[in-house]
Amino acid sequence: MPSDGAGPLLRAEGLAKGFGPPDQRVQLFSGLDLSLSDGDFVAIVGPSGCGKSTLLHLLAGLEPPDAGRVLVGASDWTALTAEGRASLRGEAIGFVFQFHHLLPELTAEENVALPLLLAGRGEAEARRAARELLVAVGLSGRAGAFPRTLSGGERQRVALARAVVRRPRILLADEPTGSLDAAHAAEVFELLAGVARERSGAALVVTHDPAWAARCSRTLRLVPEGLEEA
Amino acid sequence: MTPEVRGRGWLTTRGQAVPALFVGRAGQAGLTIDPGQARSLSALAGDALTVVSSRTRLSPLGPVPITASLLLGGIAPAATGRREPEARLPLEEARRLLALAPGEATGYELRLSDPDRADEVARAAAAAAGLPVTTTTWQQANRPLVLALRLERVVLFATVFLVVVVAGLNLAATSAVLVATRSADAAVLSVLGAAPKAIERVFVAAGLLLGAAGTAAGLLGGAALAVALDRTAAIPLPAQLFSLAHVPFRVEPLDVGAVAVFSLLWSYVAASVPARLAARLPVTEVLRAV
Ligand SMILES: Nc1ncnc2c1ncn2[C@@H]1O[C@H](COP(=O)(O)OP(=O)(O)OP(=O)(O)O)[C@@H](O)[C@H]1O
Ligand SMILES: [Mg+2]
Repeated sequence: MPSDGAGPLLRAEGLAKGFGPPDQRVQLFSGLDLSLSDGDFVAIVGPSGCGKSTLLHLLAGLEPPDAGRVLVGASDWTALTAEGRASLRGEAIGFVFQFHHLLPELTAEENVALPLLLAGRGEAEARRAARELLVAVGLSGRAGAFPRTLSGGERQRVALARAVVRRPRILLADEPTGSLDAAHAAEVFELLAGVARERSGAALVVTHDPAWAARCSRTLRLVPEGLEEA
Repeated sequence: MTPEVRGRGWLTTRGQAVPALFVGRAGQAGLTIDPGQARSLSALAGDALTVVSSRTRLSPLGPVPITASLLLGGIAPAATGRREPEARLPLEEARRLLALAPGEATGYELRLSDPDRADEVARAAAAAAGLPVTTTTWQQANRPLVLALRLERVVLFATVFLVVVVAGLNLAATSAVLVATRSADAAVLSVLGAAPKAIERVFVAAGLLLGAAGTAAGLLGGAALAVALDRTAAIPLPAQLFSLAHVPFRVEPLDVGAVAVFSLLWSYVAASVPARLAARLPVTEVLRAV
């Protein structure tokens, strides 16, 4: 749910991350600040390997930063237990991967309902919400289909529906159209934009395509010193 | 409770003789001897046999053994678990051979509705008799078999235990493979907000499901096999040595329960180790790998 404007939905302060042993350390970025507010639709661009995916992981609390902190609302990821992080992530963060990562044993509807079931919601309610959302992403007829029978674009739309089914405050998408051809990519991107506007507070999309980036409200370039306006 | 009369003597026919134990029981019609005795005597059913008792009676010629001439009614191994072959004959004949008065007996046979209480009943009977008597329970009479079966049970239980342990290790390996192949899905679940505990539960449940299926299949198969082996008397025992004609197989609810409980517990242990690993996977590294 969009917050009541009392502050940013997501805030990163002085983030630093690098990999490797001290003598051959690869520093991806340091001193990175970011603030996402309700209604933001931000694109992140940068060359391959600059650390865009890593940044999303830090923001989603999937990995701890070397320095700095990430606040979701008022909660600091590092101050939470593993269980606390899981519950906050489920509630506040929607994540779309480059690859759909749907569970092959579940139908489209069940995949979309999964976050609700993990949150302890009743099955009937979860399925109903999933069906509604599948209609919204234009897959009303494929609710019972298994991922392997869906096209790449359809899978990504299911994955998108799964990411927003709990109405997360923050939607993080890591090259959501990266594995799709141009036509499907356009379709998915449109949906993402629409869904982000409608169902979540702020969206952060990693993309390689300047055309998509241009359609976002802000475009930020990831450089070793942090994020700069592009 | 049936009286019985036991004595020692010889069986003779056509000049052949074998020493023999004989026992008289109520309800025994005619003479039945052991196949071993029949062979030594070259006797066939219908032959006239003379049972010579070790008891003597006084005759004008001095003491002579008491004898009884009987037609050989049947050739069969003794039903009770005696190591020595027995010739069985009507109670009255046996009394006469041992010069006992009608109503007298050398012993009594008790048939219990609950055979497991034999020891207890034997002690009580000995106490009640008031005389120094010897008691022999069916367990004592069948001691070698009882011991063999008990040993066999212990060995079988140890074998089953090892089989289950090995099967559990197999299950652990299967679970580990499951965790390895489905680590991406586990990572996705955790991105969707599944707590580590929830992910651990998923993999434990998968392992337990496998374990339960294996346990059910094993128990059903084992019970069916036991029933079949028992019905078909698949493993015969030497009749001269044991009163049981074949190795009995019984499906004991307690044994089945013990095996089931142990198998399920062990499946849980075997599945929970890889499951715990799955719950602690570094999510981002797993996601990078796919
Ligand atoms: N767990 C890790 N261990 C070692 N190195 C890592 C790890 N995670 C990321 N890296 C390194 O960090 C760098 C940035 O990776 P990242 O996936 O964030 O790049 P990216 O900007 O998303 O690239 P792309 O556009 O190709 O997806 C890469 O050089 C990568 O090898
Ligand atoms: Mg990336």
